[in-house]
Amino acid sequence: MPSGDPHIIFDDVSYRYPNAKRYVLKHVDATIGRGEFVGLLGENGAGKSTLCQTINGVIPYSRGGRMHGNVIVDTLNTRHTTVARLSQKVGIVLEDPESQFFTTSVLSEVAFGPENLGIEREEILRRARRALDVVRLRGYEDSAPSTLSGGQKQRLAIAAALAMRPDVLVLDEATSQLDPVGTREVFSLVRELNERHAITIVMATNKGNEVAEFCDRVLVLHRGELVAQGTAREIFADGELLDRVMIRASQASQLATYLADRGAPLPSFPITLDEARRAIIRLLQDAA
Amino acid sequence: MSALVEYTPGDSFFHKLDPRSKIVFMVMITVLIVIVENLWIAGAILLTLFLLWLIAGLSLSSLRELATPMIGLAAFLLFVQAILYPGHRILIQPIVPHPIPVIGGRGSVTLEGILFAVLLSVRILAMVIVLPLVTMTTPIHIFTLGLVRMGLPYRLAYTMTTALNLIPLLQAEANMIADAQKLRAFQVFEKGGFLDKLKAYPALVTPLIIGAMRRAQLIAVAMDSRGFGASANRTYIQEIRMRGQDWAFVVVAGLLGAVAGAADFLII
Amino acid sequence: MNKDRVVVAVEDLTYVYQPQGVRALTDVDLTIRAGEFVGIVGQNGAGKTTLLKSLVGLLTPTQGRVLITDLDTRHMAVADLATSIGLVLQNPDQQLFAQSVEEEVAFGPRNLGLGRDQVKQRVDEAIGLTSLDAFRHEFPPALAKGDRAKVVIASVLAMHPQIVVFDEPTTGQDYRGCHQIMQIAWKLHQNGRTVIVVTHDVALIAEYTERTVVLRGGEVLLDDTTEAVFAQPEVLHQSNVTPPQITQLASSLPAALRLPSQALTVKQLGDAILARTLSTRTHH
Repeated sequence: MPSGDPHIIFDDVSYRYPNAKRYVLKHVDATIGRGEFVGLLGENGAGKSTLCQTINGVIPYSRGGRMHGNVIVDTLNTRHTTVARLSQKVGIVLEDPESQFFTTSVLSEVAFGPENLGIEREEILRRARRALDVVRLRGYEDSAPSTLSGGQKQRLAIAAALAMRPDVLVLDEATSQLDPVGTREVFSLVRELNERHAITIVMATNKGNEVAEFCDRVLVLHRGELVAQGTAREIFADGELLDRVMIRASQASQLATYLADRGAPLPSFPITLDEARRAIIRLLQDAA
Repeated sequence: MSALVEYTPGDSFFHKLDPRSKIVFMVMITVLIVIVENLWIAGAILLTLFLLWLIAGLSLSSLRELATPMIGLAAFLLFVQAILYPGHRILIQPIVPHPIPVIGGRGSVTLEGILFAVLLSVRILAMVIVLPLVTMTTPIHIFTLGLVRMGLPYRLAYTMTTALNLIPLLQAEANMIADAQKLRAFQVFEKGGFLDKLKAYPALVTPLIIGAMRRAQLIAVAMDSRGFGASANRTYIQEIRMRGQDWAFVVVAGLLGAVAGAADFLII
Repeated sequence: MNKDRVVVAVEDLTYVYQPQGVRALTDVDLTIRAGEFVGIVGQNGAGKTTLLKSLVGLLTPTQGRVLITDLDTRHMAVADLATSIGLVLQNPDQQLFAQSVEEEVAFGPRNLGLGRDQVKQRVDEAIGLTSLDAFRHEFPPALAKGDRAKVVIASVLAMHPQIVVFDEPTTGQDYRGCHQIMQIAWKLHQNGRTVIVVTHDVALIAEYTERTVVLRGGEVLLDDTTEAVFAQPEVLHQSNVTPPQITQLASSLPAALRLPSQALTVKQLGDAILARTLSTRTHH
């Protein structure tokens, strides 16, 4: 739940990849509060991944390229802090479940991060067990990551990030390659991390239904620019915006927009199934 | 092919050895097999490896899979060395008739030539067996830990591990790529001539390389994001310890190796 | 085109993966006629991929048989089936290799041994169908994800298969990409080709397909019109398939509102609601 303090500040951030002419991020200004669950929306190529990778410093540190402006996490400026240091504040889960693992067992995978920090062995095992508990993969310690399902793999990636004890978790299209079951698993887990463990979440995604259900707030990127921010309700109600940036709202919201465009707006703008149900009932009962 | 490099769990004495003993053993064998010139001694080394393979409980069919490509190579070597090796005990008269200038009178099949070819084959076979003998009995992260404890910088060790772990993935990719191209009526590898096959390689290799590069970049991001390189004093949750049997193994192997080397030196 | 002609006949198909002995499909029967637009859904592990691979000959049935336009896949090479059934695989990056989109699309027709002019004609046609004109000379791997997927589609279409199968076409695609790909599938359908889409995106299935097959544990759980399939959420639940939000919404509305209890798309439910508001208005 959001507490109001700024946790991540994007201050006029622009960035282009090495050897590229085009800037993929242009003057992005935004603040993410501590404890918020923020959805990052935008079509492919809008800059979502890039923005995600500026939060833990991979951009510009590992990827090179040219960055202007600053990204500040807590009090750390990502341009003046090593990725290694930032990795203890910001965990990241990438889109492709297959390409995030490089050891042969679930336990080694989760231990990898703390091992890099030179943490004492017993402490590492404690952290690993705790992380696997939270993502509900205890018992899989000796399994090879390749034998896990898509949803399990992403949960493992989350555990690997959690072992670093971050207070921010960034998920870069982490459910794009998953089926609905896996998607649900990951969103639910992430919400739990947000609500029970006070971790600030930044989730780049295109899944309208889930955004409506889980996100406190939404940032919308289009061609590298932050074109809108607000609650899912505000964004999904802005039909013109959605058309322009080619984003799909939840079906509940799509229905509301469909009706509003044809002169029969619902009494309140729904974003979830339950809200839509209630609104439709009121509409038709009021009319009767 | 990856099955020949991948770890096969087991309970054997060889499995339980510390990776460092196995690495030392591997280096010793490789050096020895290259130095030794006596066919009997080389054969004895090969036999030892074969026995160790059995002791480790590794499958004979895997061994056959490794050795079979060698037969073709051995036959080729046999042919070439039999003729070209400067030997004296001629078995078959010159292939090239005398009257032909320059190369006339050459090309006899000599006994020494045949023996040399056999020696080369034994050498190659031994080198081909020793690496899988170690990698199939040692989990990759234990193997790299062994290297690290022996002084290899851990960044290098992790580069190796990641690469080795990638092999089965790339193999799976290669199969999927082959399937995808077959779906576009690509039959060159079943029906085409040699030149056609050569021209067709990009269709298989390009997607593989691009895929591998993409994956490598993602892995690099994942590793950095988990603090890779943060501390020079990296912890390892796996523990390896040189025990009595490890030292015994290394010492015995060393002695036998020294004996073999000395014997070889004295005989030749 | 004879609309009743059977183009895909799966008879008692059983497939067991060796050497693990994993049974992926058991006694699957499926008949698809020319011009149909069929969706195949089911949780991961239900056998969708195995079924697809069996249709195109990448896998040979352990038992039973698959007939593609009367050709028995057991007696045909994959490459020879390519002109009857085209499969657009999920990951475009596993096939793109040519220097340009044109070259990539020409690959298939060239493999078929077609003459230069014919190849050019097919390439132009396929590129037109997939709206890739602007990218003709681009290096395929450098294109955006949605465009890479379209290149693969174009290269399959250039083979002129009667049946086109899409394997998870929208995974990892954004709204624009999904829309473009499904529009192509729709166009194919309108042109009389048989289209099969395997996906776990139920909203897609609901919007585009007329018939849906639900797999579970290697068996056919449901095979009916898309409407009928999504009217059975309890059965779908057995394969971890949930109807689209709009369908769930429609079925959750009280009967007293006199709205159809079934809706597959936003438009359907929206129109029904509009009709009701109009009729209640005219009553006043």
